[in-house]
Amino acid sequence: MVDDEGARESEFDWRVPASIPLPVEPEDNPMTEAKFQLGRHLFYDARLSVNGEISCASCHHQSKAFSDGIQRPVGATGEVHPRNSQSLTNSAYFNNLTWGNPALATIEQQIMLPLFGDNPIEHGIDESNFEQIIMTVQADETYQRLFLNAFPEQDDPLWGDLAWDNVVKAIGSFVRGMTSFNSAFDRGELSASARRGEALFNSERLECFHCHDGYNFSDATIDRGVAFLEPKFHNTGLYNIDGMGAYPEPNTGRHEVTGNPDHMGQFRTPSLRNVAVTAPYNHDGSVATLEEVIRNYARGGRVIATGENAGDGRISPFKDGVLVPFRISDAEVDDLVAFLESLTDHNFLTDPRFSNPWESTGENL
Amino acid sequence: MMLTLTGRLQTLGVVSGAKILGRTFCGFMAAGLSYAPHVSAHFIPDEGAGTQVDAAVVATWRSASVVDQYEFWQIPGTLMGGDAYPVTSGLSVDEVTVKAARRVDANTFVKLGLGVHQGGSQSGDEHQSVTVEHASLGFICCETTGLGVGEIAAEFVAEIGVLSAAFTPELLSHRSTASFSEPSLIADVFFGRHFHDQGARVWLHETAGWSVGAEIWQGKAFPSTEGGDGGAWDVFARYQFDRDKLNMTLGGWWYTADAQSRADHRYGGGHQHTPVAPPGESASQFPDIRYTGDVVLLGVDASMAYQWTAASSMGVQLSWAQLTMDGALHDSGGREAALEADQYAVWVQPYLKWQQHNLAVRVERLVADNRLSGASAATLGESAGALNVSGHTPQRASLAWTYQWRPQTAFRTEWIQDETLEDAQSRFTVGVIWHGSLLSGGHSHGGY
Repeated sequence: MVDDEGARESEFDWRVPASIPLPVEPEDNPMTEAKFQLGRHLFYDARLSVNGEISCASCHHQSKAFSDGIQRPVGATGEVHPRNSQSLTNSAYFNNLTWGNPALATIEQQIMLPLFGDNPIEHGIDESNFEQIIMTVQADETYQRLFLNAFPEQDDPLWGDLAWDNVVKAIGSFVRGMTSFNSAFDRGELSASARRGEALFNSERLECFHCHDGYNFSDATIDRGVAFLEPKFHNTGLYNIDGMGAYPEPNTGRHEVTGNPDHMGQFRTPSLRNVAVTAPYNHDGSVATLEEVIRNYARGGRVIATGENAGDGRISPFKDGVLVPFRISDAEVDDLVAFLESLTDHNFLTDPRFSNPWESTGENL
Repeated sequence: MMLTLTGRLQTLGVVSGAKILGRTFCGFMAAGLSYAPHVSAHFIPDEGAGTQVDAAVVATWRSASVVDQYEFWQIPGTLMGGDAYPVTSGLSVDEVTVKAARRVDANTFVKLGLGVHQGGSQSGDEHQSVTVEHASLGFICCETTGLGVGEIAAEFVAEIGVLSAAFTPELLSHRSTASFSEPSLIADVFFGRHFHDQGARVWLHETAGWSVGAEIWQGKAFPSTEGGDGGAWDVFARYQFDRDKLNMTLGGWWYTADAQSRADHRYGGGHQHTPVAPPGESASQFPDIRYTGDVVLLGVDASMAYQWTAASSMGVQLSWAQLTMDGALHDSGGREAALEADQYAVWVQPYLKWQQHNLAVRVERLVADNRLSGASAATLGESAGALNVSGHTPQRASLAWTYQWRPQTAFRTEWIQDETLEDAQSRFTVGVIWHGSLLSGGHSHGGY
């Protein structure tokens, strides 16, 4: 007899297979389809920026599993972000958001950074322009209807004091609803090469699955069944610019937030779902291909021979202990890449449910 | 054979009644086989007998494996572990044991036993390390102080060291002494097949038919864990009745253990990986689900034997055990689900012995009623094996014929209808058993 204490209950259709636990819903922002649809409109709306040119979708393209395909994105004011745009695939399942901030535990908290943050500036919304920006939203009849549907418990969800709070919650609901579990791997349709790659992935030699474990291929995965999960961050030996394990500023990962020297170069394990379409890789987009990522791991870290970031990441004192060099043939690299490609959910990349709603209305924002 | 010897020794006045009962206790699990061990786990060597060393080797060929090489043996509704590895097709050395015992003086004895048992893993690696099954020091007390009943003196025994459990004869079931080459479901599911642990035992040893005692364990043996709140203890009582050609034994026991993050060490519990399957086959990673909580077992063992001639006997044995668990399943990802389990298993084993032939039948059944709660109940329950979705009731029927070719050598063949898993399977076995004395110390005991 099993009593899951409501773990499969939700007002929202998560479109998650029965074998996958449902994500946690914040008590102050339970999932609804109406909020999801409002958030979808806001996600693709470039009016939510200082210059009317940057939307969430500017750096998160559906065809790239909501990453952007470039090394580092550029914000509304031209500032280059120090980090690579992460895929938003299954964001609902991460116990902390962004690459290296252990304090960001909810999507709603994270969304505040690109909208209102100034280091770096992304959307560029601040005290000088936020009233004007929300007025453009208030003036749109589509939003007037969507806000009322999304927040029926509020008298004035679009014009009241909670308008920006509602914007954040709605975008959070849309991002949280981006679930993806329909890859060839999920369907058990692996090619022979991908099967060999799967065995390598889980092998004693490569050790990949220690960090990329579980149904979301990340040890930073949380769901309704997880009572508590320690923040998990890893230094993969990508840099060692001073011979003492330092990463280039300001990209020092968890250390950047905690100031703890032992946290130097530690980043959260990204999910590998849809990883084949989210190049370039690593926290700063400095690795162009999956093959290159694999070969860095095979060497036990990355060696940069010249330039300002020169250093031998293999001997970083902060490198995670699980990262030891291994031998791998070219054919095995191909097999491993084939396995990683089998994690692509092609339906997720084209599903109209996650697409730009303004395009269907003729308003391409 | 055992009863015949008992009567003969009593007639000759060679040993006391208490010591005779000691020999027959050892023979409970032997199901009347004539190669019952000299130096069993609970054997107390006689004074002046010198050092006694016994050895046994059991090799068995099986027609089929209970699960495929890259699958886990997980009986539905149970949390297995310990050394309960699945049997595999082909030839397998099921057991190699060497046991020694010596009576140091009137009140002190020492025992040492080494064992290698059939293992096997999902990856095909054999798990056949040498295990110290007994390494103990024993003290006998008060044998002549008049605490006994009638003419028979009470014998109190204290033992400390690495011990084998005495609380149930189920755990004495070495394949060289049992009728069957495969341990019972009670032994495999509830105790992980073997029970050897550091601990201490105090018992009234086979006095006027009674054996009553208590044991305390460090907790290394499944279903317990050591350290922290881990550990286990048990109490037991057993009465043996001998009258003419009839021998009966009835025993009961109660065992309680604490488990802390207990793993199924057959496949998990440490650094683990998906086994690498050859092309065309697949293997999956074992879900390392742990159990933390209480484990309580109680059981009843009974046997009855009738020996109508010197070379023929018949009897029946029965064992029933109930397991309750109250704790939580959890994993490394922070998932947790409460588990309350009530499970029982029973087997009945009639046998018929005629000259060198022993024919035994064993019928087993296991029923699990588990209640899981929590957001991860379904996920963890299914991964750990506690979730018996189909309601399957594991059961197994075995038939064994053993031919005692020489005093120390026997051949055994078995047919097994195995329905412990949802896919039923029939298999047969052919095996050889060698069990003999390497060093008798100039003083012979037992049935050959």
